[in-house]
Amino acid sequence: MHDLDLAGGGSGDLAIDVAMMTRVEGEGSLRLRVRDGVVEEAHLEIFEAPRYFEQLVIGRTPDEVIDIVARICGICPVAYQMTAVHAFEHALHIPIDPQVRALRRLLYCGEWIESHALHIYLLHLPDFLGYASALELAKDHRSAVEAGLTLKKAGNRLVELIGGRAIHPVSVRVGGFSRTFRRSEITAIRGQLTEALDIAYQTVDLVAGLEPPAFHRDSRLVALRHPDEYPMNEGRIVSTDGLDIAATEWLTEFQESQVSWSHALQARDRAGRPYLLGPASRVTLAADQLHPLAASALAATGLADEIRTNPYRSIVARAIELVDATAEAIEIIDAYEPPDQAATPWQPGPGSAAWATEAPRGLIFHAYELDQNGLIRSACIVPPTSQNQAGIEADLASFAPQVLDLPRDQATHRIEQLVRSYDPCISCATHFLQLSVEDLS
Amino acid sequence: MVAVEVLVCGSQDRGDDGAPIAIMGRLRERLPPDVQVRAVGQLDVDDLLSIPYGAGVVIVDAATGIDPGVIVDLALTGLIGQPDGVHPRSSHALTMPEVVGLAEMLRGRPLRGRIVAIGGAHFSLGSNFSRPVNASLEPLSEAIVKAVASVRPSAGPV
Repeated sequence: MHDLDLAGGGSGDLAIDVAMMTRVEGEGSLRLRVRDGVVEEAHLEIFEAPRYFEQLVIGRTPDEVIDIVARICGICPVAYQMTAVHAFEHALHIPIDPQVRALRRLLYCGEWIESHALHIYLLHLPDFLGYASALELAKDHRSAVEAGLTLKKAGNRLVELIGGRAIHPVSVRVGGFSRTFRRSEITAIRGQLTEALDIAYQTVDLVAGLEPPAFHRDSRLVALRHPDEYPMNEGRIVSTDGLDIAATEWLTEFQESQVSWSHALQARDRAGRPYLLGPASRVTLAADQLHPLAASALAATGLADEIRTNPYRSIVARAIELVDATAEAIEIIDAYEPPDQAATPWQPGPGSAAWATEAPRGLIFHAYELDQNGLIRSACIVPPTSQNQAGIEADLASFAPQVLDLPRDQATHRIEQLVRSYDPCISCATHFLQLSVEDLS
Repeated sequence: MVAVEVLVCGSQDRGDDGAPIAIMGRLRERLPPDVQVRAVGQLDVDDLLSIPYGAGVVIVDAATGIDPGVIVDLALTGLIGQPDGVHPRSSHALTMPEVVGLAEMLRGRPLRGRIVAIGGAHFSLGSNFSRPVNASLEPLSEAIVKAVASVRPSAGPV
């Protein structure tokens, strides 16, 4: 239930409590305190119980870690697997067959397609079109929901094909995969992806035509950037204000800290500044590396600048990435030749492992210390929502004054719509939302 | 010909969430051959779209909001009618009523189905069940068998 209680006399001194959550993916709330029309405090309160994954992996082998961290999230398990496996392979100097590399990118494309389709059509589009849920949306826009489900199914099938199952895939191993894939297995999905690509184009047209609330800010955007491809499994960490560091050096620029209002750690840069990750950051920082079909789709929207400054336009960035991931998946399939072996043999050993990849909702960082036996001695896992949390709070603080004078349903709607723009994940760190407002004066 | 599909939700490594998965073996022994038992993990619209027209469906899941070990058996139509349930609570996942509602809309007719749920106490990582859930595994199986009988095409109104 969404409920906005606007108590008090409208003096501009207000406290807004957004409280709620479900058990499946996480529990959290939002608290805003406003004085004289200025938001003094915007807290994203995450009270999902701590999940202790960083402790659960202690003493485990790298291959065990890959399967364990996939359990952190049912929507983006590939992101956790890819980040961990690349960290270990980098630390242990394990060479990877180019076809294995391509297959991993294909696996990640599947997760992006599935996650973005779900978010665009079933979670965010109802906000833009004024529906309370995907179910309500489907009554009037059945074809849109069917399009979203078709895209999602294509992504799921890719993950299932390469990962062994659609949720919590099991095939990724240090050095490669648990088995090789015949060319016929891989090409069997091509037709489904071709259909998905057509729908992805239509998705861009659809979401580019949506009217977003007027809200512009100049946030610090952060993403991976690779010289030859759109960022996914590899790249350097860059930002809109000139940061350029290796993916392994996340800890030199950023840090996590505990805040009193959240069980999730919050990440900021070492100067204390918030930043934002995700499709809008990637499209802003790596537009020149988009697949040509996605690049032309972005150009046709004319919205590249707005994607950078208006978070409500993130739905367009997400749609552009649907085109990118689908088009690239088709190219990978067309070029695929089975590798000589499923995985490069390797020997366990000590070392420091760190890596960053791009989850559907933004950059994810892992760091591990391996002991003399090659077992995990310590782990640091930083999901995108933990990193976005402070940036979301900053955007809410900037945006909230615009809705304080609106009727309760409209204010609720705008706040929820803004928060959904970041596609947060509380069990990787967030969930929502019931809104109430109390008068401070 | 499949008369009824039993869709088993849950995750084996998330405490009481794995209770429905744990009884799949004994379910298959008890149910007739025209009943298909399928593990789906997280229920997806596609799982329901693939139910043959005319066949019944029983969804089995763990739940919160009821006491641990307590078993509830609800018609799917009643589930969708609950106003709290149809609103998106999650930032990136659909609620079960939404999944059921979308499937019915896309199929063009209501599902002949029920959901059998067992209340859970903990859903954190681990394969052990809470004591109340452990004690209710057999009653859960019995409730599912009963629900299957009630959604057979030859049975009366669900």
